[in-house]
Amino acid sequence: MGSRDLLREARLRAGLTQEELGRAVGRTQSAIARWESGRVHPSLETLRELIRACRLELTIGLANYDDSYDSFINRALDMSPSERVADAIAREVVYSRIRGKAVA
Amino acid sequence: MRLPERSSTRGFEARPLPEFRFGDILRVLKEHEVRFIVIGAIAAVAQGYPLTTQDIDITPARDPDNLERLAAALRELRARLRTPDKDEGVELPIDAQMLGNADMWTLRTPFGDLDLSYVPSGTQGYDDLRRGARTETIEGVEVAISSLVDIIRSKEAADRVKDQAQLPALRRTLELVRQRESQS
Repeated sequence: MGSRDLLREARLRAGLTQEELGRAVGRTQSAIARWESGRVHPSLETLRELIRACRLELTIGLANYDDSYDSFINRALDMSPSERVADAIAREVVYSRIRGKAVA
Repeated sequence: MRLPERSSTRGFEARPLPEFRFGDILRVLKEHEVRFIVIGAIAAVAQGYPLTTQDIDITPARDPDNLERLAAALRELRARLRTPDKDEGVELPIDAQMLGNADMWTLRTPFGDLDLSYVPSGTQGYDDLRRGARTETIEGVEVAISSLVDIIRSKEAADRVKDQAQLPALRRTLELVRQRESQS
């Protein structure tokens, strides 16, 4: 999730327009729009200030990088939403049998 | 629909094969014009989350009219209260007032398990989730599903062990979805 996604999500969650958020932090509506478009990136400090104006807190931490799900996610993303659900249900049926829930 | 009968095999009592006919559940809810959003793992799976789930979770709107429609749908689905010690669930008299008296219901139907949560953790309920929701077809039924962002924020807020375990794959799914969107 990039800064533009975080900013837009925070603003929408707060129910603010770009103009209202701009007014709250002493910026123009067009400045907010540029950050949300991704054409310009706010500094971390500015992003935190913007998100706090939405009554939310930006939290950042470090964790081990894990791409072990990528092949499964990419496989799912190659399907339609309906196919993804059907595929997951089919797998769950198999898992249920393996767990011993099935009537043999 | 008739539930599979119990049988015993190899010295232990096997439980009935769970049903995962979520499309039938969604179809009945839609036919009764229930306003709801599919949340949880099924909503995440529809958006690329690679794991599976054994039930379907929804957030219904909590206004009295919607609760009446929800009660009618649940009666048609023959929903029962899900309990750990009774596979078939416990019968309960479903009406709108009863449904509105608790924040969550874990139900069993002949078509699969259905969980209702009016105010999922970290959210303010139906109207809050509706803002970011998208429309997708699940098992042939067009429904509103919660956005991945909202699913993630709810699981972060719930902070149970099982939610924490799901978060890495959910976050990675969101990243890969966004990568694809930016490339298209």
